[in-house]
Amino acid sequence: MLPDDALDRLIEGSKKVAELCRENKVKQWEIIATQSYGHQLDIEAGKISLAAGGGDGGYGIRVVEDGKFGYAYLVDVKSAENAIQQALSIARISPSIKGFDLPSNQETKEVKGLFDKRILSVGPEDLLKQADSILDEVKSLDKRAVVTGGGLGVSATAGVLTSSEGIEHHGITTSHGIGVQVSIDENEQLTSSWQGESSKQLIDEIPNCVANSVEWAQKTRDPIKVDNGAEDLPVLMTSEGLGSLFSTVIPSAIRGERLSRMESFWSGKQGENVMAKDLSLIDNAIMEGGISSSSRDAEGVPTRRQIVVDSGKLVGSLWSTRDSAKLVAEGKIEHATSTGSASRRGHQSPPVTSCSNLELISSSKSSSMDELLQRMDSGYIVNSVMGAHTANPTSGDFSVTTSSILRVEDGEVIGAIKQAGLSGNMAKALSRDVFLGDDIRVSGGSMHIPDILLMQALRVNPI
Amino acid sequence: MVLAASPGDDIFNNARRYLEEDKIRSALQNATDFGASYAEVRLVSVTDSSVATRDGQLERAIPGQEVGATMRVLADGAWGVHSTTDIESIPSQVESTVRLAKAVAQRRSSKDKPVSLAEVPIIEDSVHWRPEKDVRETELSEKLEHLKVLYENSKEDKKIASVICGWHDEHIHTEFMSSEGMNRVWSFQRSLINATVTARDGSDVVSYRTRHGGEGGLELIEQCDLAELGNYAKTSAIRLLKAERSPSGKLPLVADRDLTGVYIHEALGHPCEADLVAAGDSCLDGKLGQKIGNDIVTVVDDPTIRGGYGAHPIDDEGLDTKEKCLIKNGILTDYLNHRESAHHFGIEPNAGARAQDGLHHPLVRMSNTLIMGGTHNDLDELIEDIDYGVYACGSRGGQVDTGRGSFQFAAQEAWLIENGSITTPLKDVSVSGLTLQILKDVDGLTTDSRLAAPGFCGKGQTVPVGDGGPIMRIKEALVG
Repeated sequence: MLPDDALDRLIEGSKKVAELCRENKVKQWEIIATQSYGHQLDIEAGKISLAAGGGDGGYGIRVVEDGKFGYAYLVDVKSAENAIQQALSIARISPSIKGFDLPSNQETKEVKGLFDKRILSVGPEDLLKQADSILDEVKSLDKRAVVTGGGLGVSATAGVLTSSEGIEHHGITTSHGIGVQVSIDENEQLTSSWQGESSKQLIDEIPNCVANSVEWAQKTRDPIKVDNGAEDLPVLMTSEGLGSLFSTVIPSAIRGERLSRMESFWSGKQGENVMAKDLSLIDNAIMEGGISSSSRDAEGVPTRRQIVVDSGKLVGSLWSTRDSAKLVAEGKIEHATSTGSASRRGHQSPPVTSCSNLELISSSKSSSMDELLQRMDSGYIVNSVMGAHTANPTSGDFSVTTSSILRVEDGEVIGAIKQAGLSGNMAKALSRDVFLGDDIRVSGGSMHIPDILLMQALRVNPI
Repeated sequence: MVLAASPGDDIFNNARRYLEEDKIRSALQNATDFGASYAEVRLVSVTDSSVATRDGQLERAIPGQEVGATMRVLADGAWGVHSTTDIESIPSQVESTVRLAKAVAQRRSSKDKPVSLAEVPIIEDSVHWRPEKDVRETELSEKLEHLKVLYENSKEDKKIASVICGWHDEHIHTEFMSSEGMNRVWSFQRSLINATVTARDGSDVVSYRTRHGGEGGLELIEQCDLAELGNYAKTSAIRLLKAERSPSGKLPLVADRDLTGVYIHEALGHPCEADLVAAGDSCLDGKLGQKIGNDIVTVVDDPTIRGGYGAHPIDDEGLDTKEKCLIKNGILTDYLNHRESAHHFGIEPNAGARAQDGLHHPLVRMSNTLIMGGTHNDLDELIEDIDYGVYACGSRGGQVDTGRGSFQFAAQEAWLIENGSITTPLKDVSVSGLTLQILKDVDGLTTDSRLAAPGFCGKGQTVPVGDGGPIMRIKEALVG
């Protein structure tokens, strides 16, 4: 898959760019180089519609002089001189941030589980066989069910980070992802469900998301009519249902910069209760095999497991090197340093602050689905929402739609609802009575959350 | 390895090209020799620049260039695709990509229809949409001046907590060669300026986002009244601080042209994409020629509207773009299609193929999508007989389940309509509904239809789009 010499060539290319930085007497520089390669299959209408392969990559150069930074990216090392000059010219007109220097080299511990050699030898034929198995599995679970969309893919990425401050970090990571939309179209009634799973390791068995998709396409059939109008009722959000909303609202709220600038609904609440007292929120970048794990962040700072909310109290926040220096220099915060929370959207992007693997846990005993339903008594179960990206990360307010919703009365599921509006405020909902399920799953990218029963602050409006 | 051929010095004049024509022609012939019925190579070079300021200070400026190419081959009725930034490696990947396509084809059952392509004219030419002011010649200092105007007019109130302004411009150069003899080069530019204004009052914090831009160069930004844009964003953010929670339920809805555009994009545009229809994932399957909307509803998708953010001269299968009328007076008249889906349905290809960049294969996508104007003169006429409803403005995005035909979109700000007048400001208003119902419920449109703010559309790949229309009234929509 990935050429054997991919890493060596990136290291060689980075050295050439570094040499040009030295020749240009750049005070501080940082070079990121990546090369990815992968195979992918698309599935439509119950069959494999397309097989694709290929790779991409490039270089990004960040220069820092007297607290000013500039950035440029390129695909061809031959144009590095031009990119360096562009980055320098931008740095010269950028505002100087007192105390902003590129991070120095610090020792790190390897995070395990981010590379699986087996993925390197996965070829298109292997993926085709896996797709066949998934399509067969869906049919065996329900003859009516069809995989109407989705696909699967594997990739390997070689990455190099080099800086004038002595950081020389390189490695290869792998990933394997599977996602399916399963539909059942019978008797002029179409129901569907999308679920996916991804891993840094080879997924060598059919993942649970396939059966779950079939199950939710079945569960949401033959909807009942609920004429109660809009109701403020408990809602049990499955991990998959909550993931997209949670990942839109929460990571943004715990960025140190937004907290310090009063742009987060948790601004000014350090040390105060912001969640239910038994809940804790942890940003864990060193989680073994975590989708967003790494031993160093995107600017080479060692990563860590950081508690952001501890037993309901806001105790932490996420910082990158530049953000922390800038907010201290502006007097928005007395003290801040990098928490190893810098990330990039590929080589085109300079480092920005973001979360890694975000875990929501409870000190209270977790509950089975049946126990959660008994506690709920009457309300709804929501397994996916439309429009999560329209949630307001500044206020935590959201107003979305769901077609994957079940009505619960007296602790029993009595049927599906065709469509409903779901609105509320995520911060408020998490600060009231919250009960967690016992099966933590990964959803919304890298949110590690179980099913969650939110007793208050949500409104459901069935059609 | 990530090595692209050297870029041409003068892309508009097509003096030099990234693809070496003889080598690519030979590679395409090889694909045919290996058993492909069709092969193409599409290269896209994007030269772009992003700038961001925070509270008036330069936050980041990022110039860059990306070059990527995708080879698609059709063999035994199935697709194989290879994408790379290593342009020189394309000829060496032909055989394996044909093998890939054949491996997919082997898995098709006898019931599955093999992929075939609708016939199209074979063209060899260059088409360049030249901007009045080339963005590549715009200095960073000039971009910062424009961002400063936007910022200065967004910040002047003690309740404004922060203002983040952004700029993005790009020059897109595409080369397309196919085994059928198509050999086309085209280029155009896009420019965009935006601001996100955050206001705070005690523990209440809200934000408002504004955007302006489209297909074209610096002239698009110069023509915009950035002071007014900034001032409106500031006023809206402050107003949202005092806005009340939206009522929930089925209510009459009036939408401004921003929201009308997002509505028609989500509710109709996506279900009209013929690749989704062919995959059995559209509520409009089998409805061509049928009445699906009110008589007053006419909808077009038109990539040839210069200045629209979704405008482009040639689609990503090398076809000249053109206006597509999707609904005429309530009757579904066409799907958006690409060559594969046009052949599948036996309809005329209408150049609806778009890819995110050179590293992605084309899908059926919208461009500039509009509801055409109606007969109402203005907003007052639309709301005068509404006793209790909602007037919603500006878009925070939307989403659709094309198979079920259900959709959702969210407004940036809204007001109650009471007894024919606009009254209380509302926040976090979203609207949801069912495509096949709500198109029938559109019962009022103002006369003036035009594109609204630029947007982006995601369908596994992200492409810029323009949406718009007139001010629209829906007699009943689920508001939340």
